[in-house]
Amino acid sequence: MGVAALCTENLSKRYGRLLALDDLTLDVAPGEVFGFLGPNGAGKSTTIRLLLGLARPTSGRAWVFGGDAADVAAAHRRLAYVPADVALWPRMTGAEVLDLLGRIGPGVDTVYRDELVERFALDLAKPAGTYSTGNRQKVALVAAFATRAPLLVLDEPTSGLDPLMELEFRRAVAAARDNGQTVFLSSHQLAEVEAVCDRVGILSAGRLVEVASVAQLRRLHRTEVAATFTGAPPDLTGVPGVDGLHSNGAAAVRFTLNGPPAAALRALADAGVATIAVREPSLEEIFLAYYGQDAR
Amino acid sequence: MTAVAAPAASVTPAPAPGRALTALAVRQVRRGALTVTGICAGMSALVVSMYESQALDPAALAALARNPAIRTLFGEPVALGDPGGFAVWRTGVVLSVLLAVWSFLAATRITRGEEDAGRWGLLLSGRAALADAVRGHLGVVTVVPLVAGAATAAAMIAAGADVAGSVLHGTGLAAVGLFFVAAGGLAAQLFGDRSAANGAAAAVLVLGLLARMVGDGVPALSWVRWLSPFGLVALTRPFDTGRGLPLAVLVFAAAVLLALAVRLAARRDVGGSIVPAAGGRPARTALLGSVPAFAVRRTLRPLAGWAAGVGAYFLLIGLVARSMADFLAANPQFTAMAAQAGFTLGTVEGYAATLFALLAVPVGVFVAGRVGALAADEAARRLTLPLAAPVTRTRLLAADVAAATGAALVLVSVAGAAMWAGSALVGAGLGLGDALAGTWNVVPVVLLCLGAAVLALGWAPRAVAAAGAVPAVGGFLWLVVADSVGAPAWVGDVSPFAHLAAVPVTGPDWPAAAVMTGLAAAGVAAGLAGYRRRDLTT
Ligand SMILES: Nc1ncnc2c1ncn2[C@@H]1O[C@H](COP(=O)(O)OP(=O)(O)OP(=O)(O)O)[C@@H](O)[C@H]1O
Ligand SMILES: [Mg+2]
Repeated sequence: MGVAALCTENLSKRYGRLLALDDLTLDVAPGEVFGFLGPNGAGKSTTIRLLLGLARPTSGRAWVFGGDAADVAAAHRRLAYVPADVALWPRMTGAEVLDLLGRIGPGVDTVYRDELVERFALDLAKPAGTYSTGNRQKVALVAAFATRAPLLVLDEPTSGLDPLMELEFRRAVAAARDNGQTVFLSSHQLAEVEAVCDRVGILSAGRLVEVASVAQLRRLHRTEVAATFTGAPPDLTGVPGVDGLHSNGAAAVRFTLNGPPAAALRALADAGVATIAVREPSLEEIFLAYYGQDAR
Repeated sequence: MTAVAAPAASVTPAPAPGRALTALAVRQVRRGALTVTGICAGMSALVVSMYESQALDPAALAALARNPAIRTLFGEPVALGDPGGFAVWRTGVVLSVLLAVWSFLAATRITRGEEDAGRWGLLLSGRAALADAVRGHLGVVTVVPLVAGAATAAAMIAAGADVAGSVLHGTGLAAVGLFFVAAGGLAAQLFGDRSAANGAAAAVLVLGLLARMVGDGVPALSWVRWLSPFGLVALTRPFDTGRGLPLAVLVFAAAVLLALAVRLAARRDVGGSIVPAAGGRPARTALLGSVPAFAVRRTLRPLAGWAAGVGAYFLLIGLVARSMADFLAANPQFTAMAAQAGFTLGTVEGYAATLFALLAVPVGVFVAGRVGALAADEAARRLTLPLAAPVTRTRLLAADVAAATGAALVLVSVAGAAMWAGSALVGAGLGLGDALAGTWNVVPVVLLCLGAAVLALGWAPRAVAAAGAVPAVGGFLWLVVADSVGAPAWVGDVSPFAHLAAVPVTGPDWPAAAVMTGLAAAGVAAGLAGYRRRDLTT
């Protein structure tokens, strides 16, 4: 694999006594859609500000496609950004904003931009001062996707979008991925992260507590299993990975499964399973577990 | 788990919304309020206490009082033989303009500015209605001119001026401030963004000043003064006949505007305006192609407003040039007296040179305001998207500094051309080249303002506009006080205005210009270093 699209090494940021970001070391591969999660105040936006050179790290470094992130004239030629709260000059119309951003930005695919404007149902003739939060966000999203930049850094880009627009957003991210673009997506919308991200990192109180693919994360966690049997249920006590065993009546059991399922499945198969329901935990449940940890 | 320990009785009774609003508004204006109060009271008292009776014979005084040019520029000289009267003539216009500018800026800043920034959404989701918030905030700002006026009167009395005159002058200052709080507050209801509201209030101020000048200078039009806040204050004639009626008119007008502002606030939405925001329009894509072009684009509109104001002022100055010069030539004792007060008058060129120095004040404030606008854009997070493009901070700042400098050169040229046009109309014989040389002569002071503003942008971004105005406004006030109280030369020399040569009477003071430009460059360099290092608000 070539050079990482995004790379940080021991990146830290201190605001007075608050360590907003603590020693972040992270690699995002080219072409990857990376979800960046964490509770409010975890340091996600801080990380992004450091990556964009908008804030200066207290220690550590960051690279964008191998170049120093602090060298914005070079680094920003390869990325586009959507901030968490989009502020625009109130008297400029949406079209003027897009024109400005397109011309000072890393380049623009005007055909794609027009298509995105259409898809996001954006009225470009109105002054930005009259836009709703969602419309301002759409302007920034259209501007970012239209650059076709190799790296898209998106900070809660859909917090103001309605469900229909959210769907358009997912389409645009999928198109970016198909193009080989890298996406770094900070979000609280877990369904969205689940739908578009290859890998997620979880930040908690400034520390990176987990980096894994969504599938891996699931595997690390308990799966709920409910089974009914044609005959008597097997005795699952002591089978590796099985926990919280319940029997529901004469011919049904419910338990949670941790780690590799092979042993439990063998035990079930030997007993003649009539039905089996395996429910993976939702991403939400997984994250609540993580987010809950730092509530301490 | 302390949160669940005390489920009951943990909701403290909220104070009345009015009280909370007042406290919020007070926090936002107190520092500026102290500054303007200190300047008004301090300057007035200083000039009173250092007053030395000028040996002027009554006939000469009468001639001075009649001269249209003197009246146009400095207001009608009233009671110059009295320490208080002299202080009013010497500082009255300057202080009333200062207080007026602060008043409308404060009014728009804490109402429309906060609303623009989206901070009122939260405030008004509570129990307070928009009209309450507007009334509460404007109410707090109105206290400031009252305090400044009272402090001025008290300070003048303490310095030995006549009580009745001091009280009338203090009341006049307060009334002007009150009027401009009301004007700013009303503009903030009418217009949907702060810069438009400020522009409207500034237009009222400039028109008021021009009306006062015309009314003072042209006897046939003296009634025009009844239409101007500054004219009304001049009509009160403190330390002389002392009339109260004009003040009553001014206070009444202020009250009407304030009431109107609150009424209009009740009729609009949070974030909305009475003058409807422009609807859809075709894109104007000129000057969007690069960072420098965009800097020019953002500068054009304010430049047009300032050019109109400065141009009108200098046109008027040009129109009275002849009469002024003739008068001074015929009354050499005034030339001497003016020299003592820091003016070198006597010829059209001398008169022009004196007034050109004044130009540094508005142009310096203009450039400080341009850098301040960049700081405001940053604070409002509007710079985040441009800075996420391949645009370095250096490039962004350089573009804005260059645009501001270019605009300042345009402004001084407009002033020079206007002065020339005015004096040409009355045949005063000021050459265009001389006029432009005179106005360009203030450029080093303007650059000092730019340097101070950029320095602040790098190291104290919340103080940009104030820091940038210090060389021009602070330096001007400093020299006025130093001259008026006869301070030793080195005290006055602290002010950059002390180092402006009387162009076009003499050539420019090149060494001083070089020093000021060097200081300005150092300020810009140090500011840029800070701007590159610090975190941006994004
Ligand atoms: N300029 C600043 N000065 C002081 N503290 C700051 C500053 N910016 C951020 N912080 C603090 O740093 C911490 C991390 O903030 P950050 O904005 O990165 O959180 P986040 O993960 O993006 O949260 P959210 O999900 O709410 O957007 C917070 O505690 C915040 O208060
Ligand atoms: Mg954030």
